[in-house]
Amino acid sequence: MTELAAKDTKDIKVADFAMREHRSLWSDAWRRLISSNTARVGLAIISIFILTTTLSHFFWDYNPRTDLDYTLKLKAPNLSPTAEVESIHPFGTDKLGRDIFRRVIHGGWNSLRVGLVSVGISLIAGGLLGLLAGFYESMALASSERIIVLSIAGLLLGALPAWIANQFFIALLFALLGGVAGWFEHFQAHKPLRYILFTLVGGLCGALPALLVSPSTALVTGILGLGIGLFLALSVRGSIISNVIMRVMDITLAFPSYLLAIAIVAFLGPGLEKGMIAIGVVGIPQFARLVRSSVLSVAQKEYILAAQSVGEGHGRIIFRHIVPNILSPVIVQTTMGLANAILSAAALGFLGLGAIPPEPEWGAMLGDSYRFLTSGAWWAVLFPGLAIMISVLGFNLLGDGLRDALDPKLRI
Amino acid sequence: MARYILRRLITLIPTLIGVTFVIFMFQRLIPGDPAIAMLGEHASEENVARIREQLGLNRPLFLDREALQSGDFAGFFDTQYLRYLGRLAQFDLGNSIHRRIPVTETLALRFPATAELALLAMLIALTIGIPVGIISAARRNTPVDGVSMVGSLIGVSMPIFWLGLMEIMLFSVFLKWLPTGGRLSTGIEITPITNLLLVDSLLTGNWVGFKDALEHIIMPAIALATIPMAIIARMTRSSMLDVLQEDYIRTAHAKGLVEQVVLLRHALKNAFLPVITIIGIQTGSLLAGAVLTETIFAWPGIGKWVYDAILGRDYPIVQGGTLLIALIFVAFNLLVDISYAYLDPRIKYD
Repeated sequence: MTELAAKDTKDIKVADFAMREHRSLWSDAWRRLISSNTARVGLAIISIFILTTTLSHFFWDYNPRTDLDYTLKLKAPNLSPTAEVESIHPFGTDKLGRDIFRRVIHGGWNSLRVGLVSVGISLIAGGLLGLLAGFYESMALASSERIIVLSIAGLLLGALPAWIANQFFIALLFALLGGVAGWFEHFQAHKPLRYILFTLVGGLCGALPALLVSPSTALVTGILGLGIGLFLALSVRGSIISNVIMRVMDITLAFPSYLLAIAIVAFLGPGLEKGMIAIGVVGIPQFARLVRSSVLSVAQKEYILAAQSVGEGHGRIIFRHIVPNILSPVIVQTTMGLANAILSAAALGFLGLGAIPPEPEWGAMLGDSYRFLTSGAWWAVLFPGLAIMISVLGFNLLGDGLRDALDPKLRI
Repeated sequence: MARYILRRLITLIPTLIGVTFVIFMFQRLIPGDPAIAMLGEHASEENVARIREQLGLNRPLFLDREALQSGDFAGFFDTQYLRYLGRLAQFDLGNSIHRRIPVTETLALRFPATAELALLAMLIALTIGIPVGIISAARRNTPVDGVSMVGSLIGVSMPIFWLGLMEIMLFSVFLKWLPTGGRLSTGIEITPITNLLLVDSLLTGNWVGFKDALEHIIMPAIALATIPMAIIARMTRSSMLDVLQEDYIRTAHAKGLVEQVVLLRHALKNAFLPVITIIGIQTGSLLAGAVLTETIFAWPGIGKWVYDAILGRDYPIVQGGTLLIALIFVAFNLLVDISYAYLDPRIKYD
């Protein structure tokens, strides 16, 4: 009898569960997020970090240019005034007698800015490239898109013979040829004829205008034209877009990220803004790869097929149906990306390629002071580094918590 | 399998061409004239022109359309980029601008230093990371798991240049146990065989040299090992957790097998694939040189060398060093892909 009762209550619990209040995906994810300890710690660290840096930036004046006091060079931390040092420096002072605590707090603003801007660059550029690559890899091109893609391909490929012959309308001719190839896609039935025709026309497009320059130029551009014509005549599939984008990403990934960032900064010149661009560009391939693979995983789902069959346009399918469904991994990657960007910015600053002194920046502060380590000035190195580590840890903890919270496999 | 490797090699060709193109372009885009960098600011015009002629800097970048117009096909292809590719095919990376010695010579000298550091760091990362990952997964949601996972998150978040500085502070400045930098103390000689000092000193039985080399390498190796160690531990744990839910693990337990056997023979074997990917990629990036660690510990490797060359506008070193680094990177990615296909029979090669 008691057994039966127990069974009944168990059943009731299940019914309760089925009838629980409706929660959206996001409020559900939020509940799971704040119920996990790691995410709570991460959120707390990030809130403190953002609050102190923004508040101090707007309400605590600091002018790095006038801030130096040679009488206070490299003083150890003190929490109460001493005979030697009358002012209080909880983190000590650096080689110019500047209060390290103040510079650490103000340096956070720069790290925050670098993080947000560079991740913004990687997210927008990488996200769009990944969307294009993933979508067109799994979906056929519409006829209007085919015309556009082939025209652009014609223009880009035609630029080479156009440059060689120094006659720029050759590129336009090839763009036109590409457009025509896209327009007459139904001409596929006579494949050999189509190939021969376009190859010949391509050769003529290349050679005839170049004859005005010299016969040898015409020979080279003519041969190039034959190749381009044949390429345009081949039935182009969307995977070509994906292939081109992902190959470019592969080339970028062939360089270690720090080396690429250093090279970009060497090219642009040092400075925090240049550092943001460098770190942002280096992060593009990661986002592109992630977004592409996420798009590929949802592109074959029934709701995408349904949207296609009711005749929705490609742009609408991408932004209404695909983007909302791949947000979770992108959000996680963005949080982790912020951590990486802060770390890379500090590394660039340490090498003297980030913020220009006397601007306070954590990495640059380390790079300034580490030579004094052998003379025992541990505080000038310890505190800026701790600031980097703790803020990076905050974003990583949150990213970890988000991954668990947004993972649909765990969703009940 | 052979066909898969061949296809994978063919897809490498456009990547490699792109890599040489990017490296070539970077040299042209970075402000400053190599001829002036070589001769100094006050060089005479004729001398600059002569050096530009010698280096081929007066040729067009990619293709010479003027030469083509006059029917000179050889001149059409005789350009900076194609000359560069031609020299690459002969393993000629040019001479350093400042020190006037072949880049390949210095590379051969410096690469073993980076390789030794990277391999030791990887060894440390593996011997700690994998066991920690296995134990965490086996004791899921216990304090052991919590501590090691928080520890690995801290490891991932660690600015390694700061960790290196903290090591120097503790072990060199305060405790005075270890030297602050360099690869070997002055006055200590090790007969070069492989140029990996630890290996060489062991082979020649040079115990003094071995101890000295070990004292120099241990701090940078630990600093460099931190991030891969943390990543490997996390990857091993999550991969093990996936596998531990499988039916065959329950079967193995039900058969009454000892837990170690279940963990190591049944679970780890199957969980190891994604870990291998991570190990390969991390080894590649460690071998590619660690500019920060090498800077802090004054380690004579390629990362620091290329970084100094970028700042000093020594273009041939930048080009040669970057090319080697990129090649190592690409090669390790290739190795990972191939080993993956080889180790997981479920992946079709063709």
